[in-house]
Amino acid sequence: MSEHVHTNEEIAARVKALESILIDKGIMTTAAIDRLVEIYENEVGPQLGAKVVARAWKDPAFRERLIEDASKACAEFNIGGLQGEDMVVVANTADVHNVIVCTLCSCYPWPVLGLPPNWYKEPAYRARIVKEPRKVLREDFGYDVPDSVEVRVWDSSSEMRYWVLPEPPAGIDGLSEEELASLVTRDSMIGVGAPAAPPSPGAS
Amino acid sequence: MSAGVRPDATELGDARRRVEALVAQMPGGRPGELAFSEPWEIRAFAMAVAAYNSGMYEWSEFQLSLIESIRQWEQGGRDPDTEPWSYYEHWLTALETVLAGSGLLSESMLDERTKVVLATPRDASHQHAHLDPVAVDPAI
Repeated sequence: MSEHVHTNEEIAARVKALESILIDKGIMTTAAIDRLVEIYENEVGPQLGAKVVARAWKDPAFRERLIEDASKACAEFNIGGLQGEDMVVVANTADVHNVIVCTLCSCYPWPVLGLPPNWYKEPAYRARIVKEPRKVLREDFGYDVPDSVEVRVWDSSSEMRYWVLPEPPAGIDGLSEEELASLVTRDSMIGVGAPAAPPSPGAS
Repeated sequence: MSAGVRPDATELGDARRRVEALVAQMPGGRPGELAFSEPWEIRAFAMAVAAYNSGMYEWSEFQLSLIESIRQWEQGGRDPDTEPWSYYEHWLTALETVLAGSGLLSESMLDERTKVVLATPRDASHQHAHLDPVAVDPAI
């Protein structure tokens, strides 16, 4: 393994190969590995994506740069993959709601969102979100998109990974960028949920 | 969506504590300092713990193997300033070594399987960017 320098792709393939051999031999199951990965999945993202979204909410010029070229704008935060895949941010508006999927595997903007949740990789989500996005959002995620809003589903590939810039919740005036970032959820950047509401001023 | 499958927070906390107790003794693996920068790293990390959990080796064997891999790299005359350093490459090497030691794996077997993985595109059309939404549910 240490004989020559491996590319990232070669190492990723080697890890995948090792996993498939160990599963074939009955030494472990994918579920057992997923279970351990889940413990650590928050070590990478989605707090990075949340920072980017908070900046975009606060700074209209940055928002423009982000929509223009997300990979470049994220580089301002030192966020980016080594593989150089392009990231594209699709912005929600009053008329359009965006949601991302990888119809064939699990391509995901991991530099900003970390590792994908298990349901993102499951065939049920991958197939149904394309066929009946509104219904899946409502029934599986409890997220109602009004009929007056168009839903667009974006299919990520290994070359181009989409993620969603959610609309800011109401009542965020005067919040710092850090406070804003704490409202941005992973699901809101996938498009299957809304950002959290800010704590109401009278509540504390 | 998978509410029934997802372990509750307490169980997750316990599992994490057990893993961290193992990792705390590793070189460069103090709790809270496990930074993953690539998805394969977290996968390799989880596999080593899973193989240990299924009794494939003693954790101390894996630990020694990791120390040995790092030592060899350091003594290989490489310049740490210019050579890329990857903790998890050593982690993977250590895992391969202990599994080979228990007769579960051979280097040629893994090389072969890696070639197969590399030769299989995840999907032929999926290498290309999809520039338009794959589905649109229009507003009424």
